[in-house]
Amino acid sequence: MHEISLIRTVFNTLEAEFDAEELSRLQAVDLKVGLLSNVEPTLLQNAFAAVTQSEGKYETATLNIETVPVEVYCPVCDKNSPVKNYKFACSCGRPSSDVVSGTELLIHRIHFAEPAAVRST
Amino acid sequence: MQKIQRSSKAARGTVTCDNTTMHLLKANDFVAESIRKRMAEQNILLLNITSSAGSGKTTLLQETIKRIGDQANIKILVGDLETERDADRLRAVGGDALQIVTGGICHLEAQMVWQAMEGLNLDGVDLLIIENVGNLVCPASFDLGEDYRVTLIATTEGDDKPKKYPRMFLTSELMLVSKVDLLEYLPFSVDNVVADARDINPDIDVLELSTIKGTGVDAWCDWLLQKVAEKKEAAAVVAS
Repeated sequence: MHEISLIRTVFNTLEAEFDAEELSRLQAVDLKVGLLSNVEPTLLQNAFAAVTQSEGKYETATLNIETVPVEVYCPVCDKNSPVKNYKFACSCGRPSSDVVSGTELLIHRIHFAEPAAVRST
Repeated sequence: MQKIQRSSKAARGTVTCDNTTMHLLKANDFVAESIRKRMAEQNILLLNITSSAGSGKTTLLQETIKRIGDQANIKILVGDLETERDADRLRAVGGDALQIVTGGICHLEAQMVWQAMEGLNLDGVDLLIIENVGNLVCPASFDLGEDYRVTLIATTEGDDKPKKYPRMFLTSELMLVSKVDLLEYLPFSVDNVVADARDINPDIDVLELSTIKGTGVDAWCDWLLQKVAEKKEAAAVVAS
């Protein structure tokens, strides 16, 4: 959809959470992207490369994208089932639109290099 | 089933922040909650109307103003990439409409709605309708603080659309099948489109509509007035 602005949001989010020294050691960001999020991983990687190069920061960092399948919850069976063929239903056959995964669009994990002070000890 | 896409450069991370929950649309969702709260305080029903471009959103809203503009105090925010054309059309039938020009952005975000609301006098308003940018993809992901999301699908679009754009139909409470006056000329089955939509969202309500012939417009207006009344009743219960 709007992958460039999502990548900018990733960096804005990190800059709000961590200080410049910590971010200078940024190695990788892991995103979880649900299949219903309308976000295309390849385009997100391209956008990541474009933004880091054009802004000249985080150029050594990498982006890892985990796509998350769509699952719905069935209250009768008390379990989650994967959505197959765009049919939002439990494996028992009961329809359910209680989507428990697949809409994610979140920073799941962030990797930093060890700070210099820690490395020397 | 899970597939991890890694770039060619391997991370050598030694310090890791794990299982963070930094949602990338958190800023939008925060503003959407503020809108929801403000609408609750003022007892205003908020609708988000979505569809492909050209399915008849503006025409339906023109009919709505003509029919029930004297029974409910209605304001409209209408989003488009460029021009004031839709707001002009709505004003031409007596509607109180404000155009949000997104300047190329393919959807409305909560922040745009919040800012536009500053330009509206919401005193005594019963119903605020947001006509989203014509697009079945991106608007689906952006909560605008609405009570109900209503999605139009025109018979000219084909009856296979719900499963192509599952998130939109998953998040809508009502599907309006528009331009049903053209059914006799088109290979479009209302039964198929309803079955397709209910595979995704078993609870979705459906109305068939033709603004040209007048089909279903009364049912749509009744639905709107009923939802306005329900919102006011709910507010009265909270207040008492």
